Amino acid sequence: MIALLLRLYPARWRARYGDEFAVVLAERPLGPFDVADVLLGALDAHLHLRGLGAASQHAKGFAMSLRIGGYAAILGGALWLLVLAGNAINNGAETGAPFLGLSIVGATVMTLLALIGLSAFQARSHPLLTWAAFAIPAGGAVVGLLGYLAIVVTGDSDAVLIGGISPWMIGSIGLITMVAGSILFAVATWLAQSLSRVASGLLAVGAVLVVLALFGASGALPPPIAIVPIVAAVVTFPAGWVGLGISALRIGRPSPVTLEGASA
Amino acid sequence: MQPRIPELGRFAEPALVILVSLSDGPKHGYAIMADVEAGTGRPLGPGTLYAALARLEERGLIEALEPVDRRRPYRLTAVGATVLADQLRELSEFADLGLRRLGRSPG
Repeated sequence: MIALLLRLYPARWRARYGDEFAVVLAERPLGPFDVADVLLGALDAHLHLRGLGAASQHAKGFAMSLRIGGYAAILGGALWLLVLAGNAINNGAETGAPFLGLSIVGATVMTLLALIGLSAFQARSHPLLTWAAFAIPAGGAVVGLLGYLAIVVTGDSDAVLIGGISPWMIGSIGLITMVAGSILFAVATWLAQSLSRVASGLLAVGAVLVVLALFGASGALPPPIAIVPIVAAVVTFPAGWVGLGISALRIGRPSPVTLEGASA
Repeated sequence: MQPRIPELGRFAEPALVILVSLSDGPKHGYAIMADVEAGTGRPLGPGTLYAALARLEERGLIEALEPVDRRRPYRLTAVGATVLADQLRELSEFADLGLRRLGRSPG
């Protein structure tokens, strides 16, 4: 009887599940409910295998976006640490400007990739919230990259472009929008509860501090205290991205559960 | 309310109870059937079980372990645990809403 029921399933399905399925069927006497259920299961297996290729591709694409988002967030976080620390040390001077400029471009590209990959993951459960929070920082990143590109093409960051706006202004507007938008992304991540809430909290605090620092808010503080929010911004903003990246990669890994009960 | 495990159609509800069954550790097919029946009071047929298992495995929500005496255990992946937690939270909120409308306090 069991062999007959198994023969109803497609060969490809039997090759993968046949052995263990036969053991399950042999565990107890088969009643009419079981037989009917197996018949429907066999029909479903024939129909389902036709669409298996598409589903498999979808699953692979989903895992890939999570991995890319995770690695990009970690690399982006490391580059932001370099950029923010370098700018804080320079304190207005232009020491190592080409190197810092390249680092800003790299950090922006990585942040954009991280936003795409991590948003794709979180959008499963909170699509509206996630994509709304994605739009502003991602738009800022794109504008920022266009500004950096204009600097390279014109060779002059202060060149006057359309509407009297310079490449440097475009890059700065994009950068500030991206960092400010990161606050929204962090809040959405916090609410979605799919990735680390500690990391999203760090990112939110860090992004607020970076925006304040970019507008020179720390200048209003007395010199000994003014350094505190700057150091905090240098540490928390990159730490938030790195934390989100690590939490994404952890989710992508198999859970370290024990094998207890496996033979139950 | 229809439980929503992504893109599983009519296998969404069996998939949900299977994920819950695996949430306390790996189990093979028959152990899942027995656990689900004990937990819900409703039998889970072998055909439905393996149709749902195949879909959950394809989507990376569970993974197969090495067989033990021809019985292959399955376990929840970290992605599966996240999806399950999201799903249970939504169901819990919906149940609370229903109870409040009935004038009965949740829990």
